[in-house]
Amino acid sequence: MTMSGTTSGTLLTRWAAPMVRWARRKSPWVLHYNTGGCNGCDIEILAALTPRYDVERLGILKEAAPRHADILLCTGPVTLQSRDRLRRIYAQMAAPKWVAVIGSCGCSGGVFQGGPNVMGGIDQVIPVDVFIPGCPCRPEAVIDGLAQLLEMI
Amino acid sequence: MAELLSALFTWFVFPGFIFLLLCTWAFDWLDRRIIARFHGRVGPPWFQPLADWIKLLAKEDILSTGINERLAAILPMLSFAMVLAASLYIPVAGYTAAAFEGDLIVVLFLLSMPALAYFLAGWISGGAYGIMGGNRALLQYFSYEVPFLMAMVGPAILGNSWSISQIAQQQTGTLWYAFVQPVGFILAIIGLIGKLKRDPLDIPKAKSEVVGGSLTEYSGRKLVLWHLTMEMQAVLGIFLLINTFLGGAITAMVGLNILLFFLMAMVILLSLSTASVIYARLRIDQLAYLGWRVFAPLALLQIAFVVWMGG
Repeated sequence: MTMSGTTSGTLLTRWAAPMVRWARRKSPWVLHYNTGGCNGCDIEILAALTPRYDVERLGILKEAAPRHADILLCTGPVTLQSRDRLRRIYAQMAAPKWVAVIGSCGCSGGVFQGGPNVMGGIDQVIPVDVFIPGCPCRPEAVIDGLAQLLEMI
Repeated sequence: MAELLSALFTWFVFPGFIFLLLCTWAFDWLDRRIIARFHGRVGPPWFQPLADWIKLLAKEDILSTGINERLAAILPMLSFAMVLAASLYIPVAGYTAAAFEGDLIVVLFLLSMPALAYFLAGWISGGAYGIMGGNRALLQYFSYEVPFLMAMVGPAILGNSWSISQIAQQQTGTLWYAFVQPVGFILAIIGLIGKLKRDPLDIPKAKSEVVGGSLTEYSGRKLVLWHLTMEMQAVLGIFLLINTFLGGAITAMVGLNILLFFLMAMVILLSLSTASVIYARLRIDQLAYLGWRVFAPLALLQIAFVVWMGG
């Protein structure tokens, strides 16, 4: 947002900016993409989205289209084949957008580190905001990581 | 001057825009809350719809390359305007901004136009899921709209008028039309679910099949306008059903009217939410079968019954 210098413009930004920040913290819609992991962390993400953990209390909804989502939840090491898809999905998301990496493989490559077909962690390909380690991490850890991400917004 | 002010008030404040926006907010929140309670969880806080709207308004607005940008911007605005225009003729507890003989047909037309705009939005969006969702939306439209329209004919015949306000007025002394023609009422609720693309009939936007349907490629302001259109259509559909089938909550006392009106709205909202929780999504061919071979003949029988009884 550019500062126009006129009083109305600055007034509007002074009014709107905290409200927009509040809205972004209260309504994060997540998109889930597996870049080549073993599916363990994906099951835990789905567990975190079940009624038992009720993440809709935080306003978190799972969206299916990249255009609608605010936070990209990535699991698994980036394989050479999924690298371009990951980049494309990240590019399709509308700004402002954040990335949360879930599981040890996504954080560093994990046990797949050094493999010939593996790039390593998600942060080798796209910028990452939150790393949530664990193999797989518990749903509580996913929610805690997302809550920390929301604090940062 | 006073006339102009009162007209502006009815357009923009009480049965008009601001009141409808608050109703939309309440509808969205209550719907999500009721569904959450059915799931045995707590659900979103009361400000959730507002947070979603502001967030979407402040998000980047991306379009795919090659898309007709002007059309993509006009379609959501046009359908939102259609829905707002329809709101002028739908009385709220007896208050209406405008009424004339025949406004029921205008309202039905204005409320069905967003379905066509939704199809077009998917068709031009340039994505496979958008085209597929748009096609499904059009096929669904042909399935639910005919029974819905025929169900709306019943109250018009009984009330001896094509004006929503008149139909509501006619029911003050007599039995509500929902009791006289229960089949028509149920068909109208099913048609409303199809119109709103809500859960048992959310075929055009099934996330696990066509991602986001027509709206897959839209983000930011356009998406929030589409969401607002859908939710406001839900509110207006509920108000329309109250006026045509439940007597429009017109009694002698004004306070009681408003209380009764919102009570009825809550009951219909509860039935919509319950339907979306307890039924799984139909396939598009199942819906077409139901619409043409079950619902349409039932609606015809209902009309015949109404004509034979009181027409």
